[in-house]
Amino acid sequence: MKPFSAQDHTADIVLAAGIRTPWAKAGVAFREEDAAHLGALAARELLARSGLANTDLDEVIAGCVGPPHDQANLGRVLSLRAGISQGTPARTVARNCASGFETVTSAMDTLLAGRGDTFLCVGVEMMSAYPLLFGNKMVGLFEKLMKARTLGARVQAIAEFRPAFLKPRVALLEGLRDPITGLLMGSTAEHIARDFGITRQACDQYALQSHQRAGAAKKSGRLEKELFPVLPLDRSNKKNSLSQDDSPREEQTLERLAKLRPYFEKPDGVVTVGNACGITDGAAALLITTAERASALGLSPLAKIRSFAWTGCDPSRMGLGPVSSTHAALQAAGCSLEDIGAVELNEAFAAQVLGCVHGMKKEGVGELRPERLNVNGGAIAFGHPVGATGARLLLTAAHELKEGNHELTLATLCIGGGQGGAFVLENIT
Amino acid sequence: MNTWAGFPLPKDGPAPGSCIRVERPEDGLVFLHLDPPHRSLAVFDGPLLRDLDAVLQDLEHDHNLKAVVLAGADPLRFAGGADLDAIATFDDPVVLEEVVLAVHKLFRRLEKLPARTVAAVGGPVPGGACEISLCCDFIVAADHPKTRIGLPETQLGIIPGWGGCHRLPRRIGLPAAMQAILSGKLYPAKKAKRLQMVDRVTAPEYLWEVAANIAMKRERVRPVSRGWKHWLVDRNPLLMHLVSKKARETVMKKTRGKYPAPLEAISLVANGVQTPLEEGAKKEARAIAKLASGSVCKSLVRLFQASEAAKKWGKNADGTSFPPLQSAGVVGGGVMGGGIASSFAMKGIATRLADLSQDAVDAAVQNHRKDVAKKVKRRQFQKHQGMAAVDALDGTTSIHQFSHAELVLEAVAERLEIKQSVFKEIAANVSESTILATNTSSLSVTKIAEGIPHPERVVGMHFFNPVKRMPLVEVIQGEQTSEESVRRVAALALRLGKTPVIVKDVAGFLVNRILGPYLDEAVRLFLDGADVQKVDRFLVDFGMPMGPFRLLDEVGLDIAKHAGESLHRAYGERMEPASGLEALSSESRLGRKTGKGFYDYPKDRKEKPTPCTDLASFQTRTVAKNLPKEDVVDRLVLSMVNEGLLCLQENVVAGPQELDLATVFGTGFAPFEGGLYSYAQRRGLQNIQGRLLELGKKPLF
Repeated sequence: MKPFSAQDHTADIVLAAGIRTPWAKAGVAFREEDAAHLGALAARELLARSGLANTDLDEVIAGCVGPPHDQANLGRVLSLRAGISQGTPARTVARNCASGFETVTSAMDTLLAGRGDTFLCVGVEMMSAYPLLFGNKMVGLFEKLMKARTLGARVQAIAEFRPAFLKPRVALLEGLRDPITGLLMGSTAEHIARDFGITRQACDQYALQSHQRAGAAKKSGRLEKELFPVLPLDRSNKKNSLSQDDSPREEQTLERLAKLRPYFEKPDGVVTVGNACGITDGAAALLITTAERASALGLSPLAKIRSFAWTGCDPSRMGLGPVSSTHAALQAAGCSLEDIGAVELNEAFAAQVLGCVHGMKKEGVGELRPERLNVNGGAIAFGHPVGATGARLLLTAAHELKEGNHELTLATLCIGGGQGGAFVLENIT
Repeated sequence: MNTWAGFPLPKDGPAPGSCIRVERPEDGLVFLHLDPPHRSLAVFDGPLLRDLDAVLQDLEHDHNLKAVVLAGADPLRFAGGADLDAIATFDDPVVLEEVVLAVHKLFRRLEKLPARTVAAVGGPVPGGACEISLCCDFIVAADHPKTRIGLPETQLGIIPGWGGCHRLPRRIGLPAAMQAILSGKLYPAKKAKRLQMVDRVTAPEYLWEVAANIAMKRERVRPVSRGWKHWLVDRNPLLMHLVSKKARETVMKKTRGKYPAPLEAISLVANGVQTPLEEGAKKEARAIAKLASGSVCKSLVRLFQASEAAKKWGKNADGTSFPPLQSAGVVGGGVMGGGIASSFAMKGIATRLADLSQDAVDAAVQNHRKDVAKKVKRRQFQKHQGMAAVDALDGTTSIHQFSHAELVLEAVAERLEIKQSVFKEIAANVSESTILATNTSSLSVTKIAEGIPHPERVVGMHFFNPVKRMPLVEVIQGEQTSEESVRRVAALALRLGKTPVIVKDVAGFLVNRILGPYLDEAVRLFLDGADVQKVDRFLVDFGMPMGPFRLLDEVGLDIAKHAGESLHRAYGERMEPASGLEALSSESRLGRKTGKGFYDYPKDRKEKPTPCTDLASFQTRTVAKNLPKEDVVDRLVLSMVNEGLLCLQENVVAGPQELDLATVFGTGFAPFEGGLYSYAQRRGLQNIQGRLLELGKKPLF
């Protein structure tokens, strides 16, 4: 697929503003939230902070991997709950782990087609709210019961019941299994580890670094620039606002990481829960528009979008998606990896990140220098609310332009099913 | 003047026959549209009753008649109640009794028409409108948020007098009717259907069609029947006795016997089912005659009219409405700011609450969510409405993010320079037309507006604590405030379910200015040795919702002191606060909020507070220890009366009607007295003056 290159277009497309909620461990702070509420909070906060009227938008685009069953078009629900005018259309898009990216590329495609110039993109995921499902046998039993007209038929249906029918199907686990290869996402990372000879120790070392960098970023106030405090919906009514990501562990050590057992391939695997991303809730909102419109709205944009690319790869090594997509995005941007000041590469698994480093060298994309890679830590420390992560990577990479005074930054992630997505962002001076 | 059975027919009133539009859409079917040219909503006044009389005469002689549909001007404008202005003119109970009976007979003729009758109701259907519907064979109601059906008469100090006390229990049963009539509740269409008050609910657009189908027997509706319950419940003497006993107890507890109407209603409704309608009519008429000539009814009607009159402030001077407010900002997350923001959000106004402290914002938002959850639990909100109310309030620590708010209200610390700087910062970030409202209780709105660009949009919007319960909002017009700003704020107050009273920008505005001398006098009584609990009981007996010492504890001794001082500064010697309370009040003893003041407040809010045991040690004298009840009440109440009359003289409010409204809704002043002014008027100025002089001569004054 042909990448997007800013050079091919006269109008500059910019990331005009962005904000995110703190990332919260699933089942903890946000356990009573729903996706639309969390997304609406981020959307409303962005509008309030950027001084936009609720009629200023051409479309709202939400990205979510597992939208709740009662919010069929999550984008529309969150748009209305955020108080955005009824006349503004909204849709929900998905590209598995890159759904947050997808909101932005969808917005840009629509913009380039000349069908609007101001888009609110919201990536949101409530992994706390993933349901447990009844298995097929139980569903079959329910169906029979519904159809049973007579008492006898009903008794007959009930008699078929076995306790095993109650075993639930965990939507989260099933969602994290690749249906083509039958592999859990963690197992795809094990493939990469073996391919490149990545050791358990290297993975743990990388995980530790993620926590340490995240801790430093938290302390320095760097993260407060991109997130806002959220008061969780919670009936216990005792909690205050969550104003920080709650996953990074400052007390993390190599020893502790070493104690964890491999999760996916016992006993020889390298992927543990310590060097993989956490299950997390969060939402991030981005405003995508043209430079011209941004200045008309009185906004000073965070970044110009220089290029983006989608690529495909082997689903059983889906973690290498960033290699090819970065390559394509850099080419479209007309620059080399060396020109990129900071790289946000999603940390699905430490083994997968390290695999990408090896892969990029091998494929001639360039050298991913550790001091430029995920300078504020990544998903291993913060967690990975799948539909929202893409939007966070863009937001963090955009802020990093100013923070590190870089000309260019890059955001890229791997996508379950074997794809990669990458953006090159440019500083607006 | 001409009359119809005593009801006045004004000379310049509508021509005979013009109040009811008679339509015959098909053979045998007659539509009667209550659509008088002189009113937007039909009211049972002379002209309408006269025309109804004439129409019924025609129908009684129409042998081709199969069905009658009684309808309004449009599906959501059926009719209101009786013409209160006319009823207020009947001073003679004998005349009033006859007038009520005449309408009874008229309604009975409608009921007795051999044709099938259907009432097609919608919008407000209170009192008389409901009672005429009960005379029809079937009632169809429009399902719409505006539809409200019921018998609110007891709230006005009378009883449903056109058959309501007898026909409603026949239709919906004794227990439900008792509750409906005593509470005076107006029910939404679906709830009315559940209670069997109406037979069929449909969309407003289909209302008349469905009514016609039922009338012409094209649609079958099972007539309401109480079945076995008619005999086992409604006519069961034991149950009747129990229901009325229970109702009487509840009413006595609530009203302390100050309101005769509910008691009268109980005995009528309890026997409602077994009393023949003709006899019931006589009973109702007699009761109305007695109640309506009494002072309680007159007071309540006057208050009702005053609160209706206050509604005109919520519209433009030419009567057009403002577009409803969509978004608002509130600065200050304390008890007041949080409460106000919550009340905005409850009405679906997107509200952003700002406070420097994230903890204060969190607490305010949490309280709001708790209140929403309560409403959902009590079914006042459906689940999605609760969700919307939660969505509508969010918090921030920045005051620069109100750019699209149509109104920003401040409830920050009561210091002029703070309020001014807050407004200046807000003004720099919002449009010129954004209303800047201040919830100040002690500062001058005019002064706050000084130096603010476009000061005509700065206006006082003074809520009372607790915001969700207190029904009054003082709208303060500073010297530069435009009338439009005042009206827009009044419209907002009305939307929140509050009653606005426009008040001049004087110290203490109206309510606090009147309460000042009252509370100060109470403190003087206390220092002179009066018993706190006794004084409080006297005032509750008089009709105040709580005694002055309980009120001081609720307000907070520090706040009361601050208010007293600012009144003193403004009005000089005559408002000098009593000295000597400092000994009692301390950092840890400021009233309810600290758990201790004049009373000791148990941690469990359900338990009753008891007077503190050490009160005597703060009293400097004993002269007021055994003061008779009349002296205590007069010393306290007349201080209020005195200040209230002064306010009238200084045009602090537009007139006596507004003074009454503000005192009843703002201080809880005995509603059965009709408010401060009505009370004073009934006692007579001379009496008051004499009494004040007399009390003044007593050594302890």
